[in-house]
Amino acid sequence: MLIHEVLVVGGGLAGLMAALSASEKAGVAVLSKIYPTRSHSGAAQGGFNSVMGEGDSIEAHIFDTVKGSDYLGDQDAIEVLCSEGPEVILELERMGVPWTRDSAGGIAQRPLGGASFPRACFAADFSGHVVLHTLYERALQRGIKIYPERSLVDLLVEDGQVAGALVYDLARAKLEVIRSKVVILATGGYGRAFAKTTNAHSSTGDGMAIAYRAGATLSDMEFVQFHPTTLYGANLLVSEAARGEGGYLRNAGGERFMAGYAPQKMELAPRDLVARAIFQEIKEGRGIDGQYVHLDLTHLGETLVAERLPQVKDLAIRYAGVNPAKEPVPVEPAQHYSMGGIRTDIWGVSSLSGLMAAGESANVSVHGANRLGGNSLLETVVFGRRAGRKAAELAGHLSWPVLSGETIACSRESWESIFAGKEQGAGDDDVFRIRQEATGIMTRQVGVFRVGSELEDAVKRLAGLKERYKRCTPRAAKQPFNYDLMDYLELGYLLDLCQVIAGGALRRTESRGAHYRLDYPQRDDRRWLCHTFARRGEAGPEFSDGPLQITRYTPQERGY
Amino acid sequence: MDVVLNINRFNPEVDREPYFQKYMVAVKGHQTLLDAMLRAWRQDPGLSFRRSCRSAICGSCAVCINGVPGLACQTLIRNVAGDSGRITLEPLPRFRQVKDLVVDLEPFFESLKAVVPWLVTREDYSGNMDPEASRKLESPVTCILCGVCDAAMDVPGKVKPAALVKGLRMALDPRDSLGAARLRLMEVPPEVLKLFIRDLPDTCPKGIKG
Repeated sequence: MLIHEVLVVGGGLAGLMAALSASEKAGVAVLSKIYPTRSHSGAAQGGFNSVMGEGDSIEAHIFDTVKGSDYLGDQDAIEVLCSEGPEVILELERMGVPWTRDSAGGIAQRPLGGASFPRACFAADFSGHVVLHTLYERALQRGIKIYPERSLVDLLVEDGQVAGALVYDLARAKLEVIRSKVVILATGGYGRAFAKTTNAHSSTGDGMAIAYRAGATLSDMEFVQFHPTTLYGANLLVSEAARGEGGYLRNAGGERFMAGYAPQKMELAPRDLVARAIFQEIKEGRGIDGQYVHLDLTHLGETLVAERLPQVKDLAIRYAGVNPAKEPVPVEPAQHYSMGGIRTDIWGVSSLSGLMAAGESANVSVHGANRLGGNSLLETVVFGRRAGRKAAELAGHLSWPVLSGETIACSRESWESIFAGKEQGAGDDDVFRIRQEATGIMTRQVGVFRVGSELEDAVKRLAGLKERYKRCTPRAAKQPFNYDLMDYLELGYLLDLCQVIAGGALRRTESRGAHYRLDYPQRDDRRWLCHTFARRGEAGPEFSDGPLQITRYTPQERGY
Repeated sequence: MDVVLNINRFNPEVDREPYFQKYMVAVKGHQTLLDAMLRAWRQDPGLSFRRSCRSAICGSCAVCINGVPGLACQTLIRNVAGDSGRITLEPLPRFRQVKDLVVDLEPFFESLKAVVPWLVTREDYSGNMDPEASRKLESPVTCILCGVCDAAMDVPGKVKPAALVKGLRMALDPRDSLGAARLRLMEVPPEVLKLFIRDLPDTCPKGIKG
């Protein structure tokens, strides 16, 4: 058995930041199902919102975020996010992050959607990548123990207290127990629940689902962000920075159609609005080939595209055969981010004792019903740092929780038979097919536009898929690097989360932020100015209303 | 089009030595090699290869493609299938094969430690950096630690290629108190360094210029 006071699951931005800050006072290890530098945080392009200079204010950042969230963000958490931003950005600067500079040598900033000021600190369009690698370098310097290619399988809970984790070691093909005082989940989102997503293959919501199974509360899972501009077909991310640097969206007639949807903010309206506008254009016959719209960067000039958007340029040339400095890029919306997650307080503490969460897997909640571009990267480092500090403090106070042989054996045995692997059984259902059906349902019926009847059908069909899943087994025999086994486990996580997302979407009979109901097109503050809490019940998710923190800004109509 | 992936297989628990297995998959020319590999995996769930981001930013899917190390996700089928429609995939050379296309990455990540792979921040750093100096960092900081350079290039001495990129990136950083002294610490002979910098852009999936 391995023993670490604080176990961080996930080696992306939130996880590494949590580990670094916890390591100042406690023994820490990072567990990751891939190598930390391969985490999906690295794919983030646009930047980190933070108030850095004259003309901008923390107040303005708070208000933009509250408004962007369609008033469903917790304002106490948003205040923390915006107030601690500048300090964390400067800390990252001293750690070695190669920010792009302004002409005076300060950290350059660019506008992103829904912001009243250019406040995203960035490094070309590699912003997530460079911070991820810098944090990894610092983790090496600190000598933080990293367990790569180990997948969290189960939380070991004794008398309502998380006392450790059961993990699967991919290289050795065996289960291991890690004892801990505090577990921080920083496992990212569940993008792979959708057929069309910008997310990596590894974004399967493991931590959210495992926390939910262990009894923790998930919150606001029906709020799913669809990024307006992903490469048509491949759905690779085309950063909002492309519009931040001045890019236009055009329909088949060449019109900048955002004028009809957000006359002031135009292309830099928040993502929920822009994604809906694009689908509306396509629906009304103004899409190109009836399928997509154009992101036009041709007026920006080759130098700017090459210097500020080198990754976007490379991706467009390679995967769409289009040089964005010369031709418009075909784009369509696709799932991108999870506003919801494991419910936590402003220190990352979840409803389950000994369990914490940070980053995309958490719901603290700073994004509410819609996240602004540049706020998720900021969230990972601000709340990762806070979670690490809190975890170290808790570990200092807590004595080692009891972890009985019985609890370990019970968890181990229930997984052992699955992990032992078996030959392909006749008549077994196909994990691949179930996944394909589930992700198709999510994209078609639980997507940008939702309607009660379709959601009801989705809930029913997802329950059916889950029954079929229960009769499945992994197909490959026991072996090192058994990705078939991973696929099997990940589908289980995704199906649990799909049920919570679709169920929550059906229950919320209003439109707010990224959750848009054609049958309830208005925001309904009288009934729905509250979070959606979900807990696992015998027959599926059980939903309830959760209290919302409103400190300064009472809800107003949201126009851009 | 139909392509044949000729994949080097090895399971240490049952195989004495590696062997090749062919998979016929239907893909389009503009799809990626990773797309084709995922189809092969569907036929044979026991096939092992790493992958994650699909967009050449995570570095997971580095493999040897027709004898040349590269990233499967940024390799288009039409560029490697040739007239025969046959693509040979092997684990990265100079790495130890542990299962099919999966190689042991521990020595690779360990090798970074040879160069003090973090910024040794100057106490007197003002918080401002000359934009010209910062521009010099732009290329080397795009390194994704995929291991392709280590697989493809022979650099004599104790410092391996990816570690060298990291070391050079730190040496270029005006915030770093070791700065140019890093070149001495890395003990890379100037002529070796010169060749390395010359050859790196053609090898590196990110086209890093030293």
